[in-house]
Order: sequence, then C-alpha cells, then structure tokens
Amino acid sequence: MRLRNLFVAIALALTALAGAYVASRTEAPSTPVSALVLPAANPVPEFSLLNQRGEPVDQNVFKGQWDLVFFGFTHCPDICPATLQVLATAKKTLADSGRQVLPRIVLVSVDPERDTPEILGKYVDYFGDGNLGLTGTLDEIRKLTGGLGIYFEKQPANGENYNVDHSAAVLVVDPDGGFHSLFSGPHVVDSYVHDLPIVMGGR
Amino acid sequence: MRIFAVLLTLFLTACGAPESPVVVSDVEITRPMPGRHMSAGFFVITNNTKEAIRITRVESPQFASIEIHESTLEDGISRMREIGELLIPARGSVTLERGGKHLMLMRPQEIDRSVTLHFFSNEMPVLRVDYSFTDTEKDQ
Repeated sequence: MRLRNLFVAIALALTALAGAYVASRTEAPSTPVSALVLPAANPVPEFSLLNQRGEPVDQNVFKGQWDLVFFGFTHCPDICPATLQVLATAKKTLADSGRQVLPRIVLVSVDPERDTPEILGKYVDYFGDGNLGLTGTLDEIRKLTGGLGIYFEKQPANGENYNVDHSAAVLVVDPDGGFHSLFSGPHVVDSYVHDLPIVMGGR
Repeated sequence: MRIFAVLLTLFLTACGAPESPVVVSDVEITRPMPGRHMSAGFFVITNNTKEAIRITRVESPQFASIEIHESTLEDGISRMREIGELLIPARGSVTLERGGKHLMLMRPQEIDRSVTLHFFSNEMPVLRVDYSFTDTEKDQ
C-alpha cells in the first residue's frame, strides 16, 4: 500500500511539474528574441523633410505612435520590398490577433534623387494603409540618418542604373519620438510578431 | 567552333528534347510595383551538361533592359552589384533568390499576364523561359 501511495505521489508531482511547464510556455513572453532595446530612448534628431503628400514634416512626425522605420529606396529590387512586406505582414498578423496598439511603417528614402513624394507615396501605399514615406534633400536626410547611426551611400552609376548601399536595420521609435530599439536584418515576420508586443508593451 | 556547337546543341535541345541541358525552375518574376520602373526575377537554373555554362545576357520583350545583380547583407549593410554573368557549374545549379543573385528587369514595356526571358551565352541563345503571372500572385 505504501508503495502504491508513493507511485500516486510521484504521478501527482509529475503532473504538477508538467502543468507548470505548460503554463510557463503559454504565458506572454517577456524577452525579445531579435529586437535590441536601447537602455534609454534617444530623441530622433531634428530634420525637415517631405511626406508622401509633399507636406513638410519634422521630427515631431514621430510623436504619437510607435513607428517601424526603414531606410531604403524604391528602385531597390529585393531587400527593400522584402523588408517592407515583412513589416506589413507582421503588422497584419498582430492586428488579426487582436492587438490594439499597432506600429506605423515608415520608409525614409536614401535616394531622394529618384524618390519624389509622389513615387514614394505609391510605393508605401502598396504595403498598406497608414504608412509614411519621407524624402527631401540629401542634407536633411543625412541629419536624420546621421543622428540614428544609419549609413547610406550612392554608388557610381552602372549603365542606366545606380544602387544605394544602406543600413538594413529597422528602427523602432516610441510615441515620444525616441529611438527605442532596433531589429537587425535579415528580417523575419515571426521575430516582429514575437517581439513587438514586448517592445511596445514594456515602455 | 566547339563552343558554338555546344551552344547550338543546348539551344536546340532546350527547345524540345526530353532532357534539356539547361533547366530553369521555381521561376518568380515580380510585377512592377507602383512608382517603380523595375522588377526582379528569381529562379533556379540547372546545368545538366558536363561543362560549365555562362549566362552572359538575358533579354525580354517585356523589359527594355535586364541586368544580372547580386544583393548582399554584410555587417548590417545592404548592397547590390551587377555581376555581369551567371556561371552555372557542370551538373550543378545556381539559385537566384531574394537577398542574393537576381535578375533586375528595368523599364517594363507592355506587360499583360506573361513575361518571356531569353538567356544568352556569349551572344548565343541557350534557353527561353515563359512565365505567367497568377491572379493571386503577390508582387513581392
């Protein structure tokens, strides 16, 4: 009888352990797997650019919502559209799961020579409603990128086309207009779906 | 002369032989997006012969210009360069994919539902690929 009681006790203990394990796996995760959160948010530097409607905007455009900010250009054939598609898919996935707070997707052009507000507008609209495109003079773009540690450099023309090397990171800007965290490339939907609720909720 | 014979054989057999010396599979061509005058082409190209093959030029009636490019992501920087040719090793294959080698198709002409690509090696045609867009296809 004592042996039987021992087996029952072990079975109960194992059940409790299994329950605790399952509970730990289903609780909301608290640690980002990909995002690097800065110890303290850094204010986005001052700049003066145009949005996709040709309206002048400054650093205050980043206040009031969470932003996912990517630096690219519309003539980029694969990395840029693939990254924006990842962001759009992650945002939709979060929306479908019932998340109320969703980030805005922002594309800052590093190729203002070709990316007019109109061209940029058609491009960012393709990836969903409410996206923001920023373009303007090279000097003003460099004010923004320089203050955020973003690199870009136009390459010598090769035939009719030229390329622009650029940082592949996606920056997360908080509703106070502060550079809060970043995702390094390559970008994966699951990483954003996992990390964004933590990043945005942990503020 | 030998290379001419090889390429002629490639071209002829690619057009109808049971086992083509050069095969292209998993083709994806992105539709030109709003605001852009270019697309990208991705596929796997396989060389079934005993000799390496160089694809030196690709043409299409649907695009004014096509270049062979390679994107890289190193140290957090995205770069893209024209590489000029695709070297397909003997009995090997090369994958053109996002973030890597790809065709850059520029200045689209009249595009309805299909795109034809003509592959050349040293000015000799070696392969023709017909690609049709699907209704549900996502552009990127």
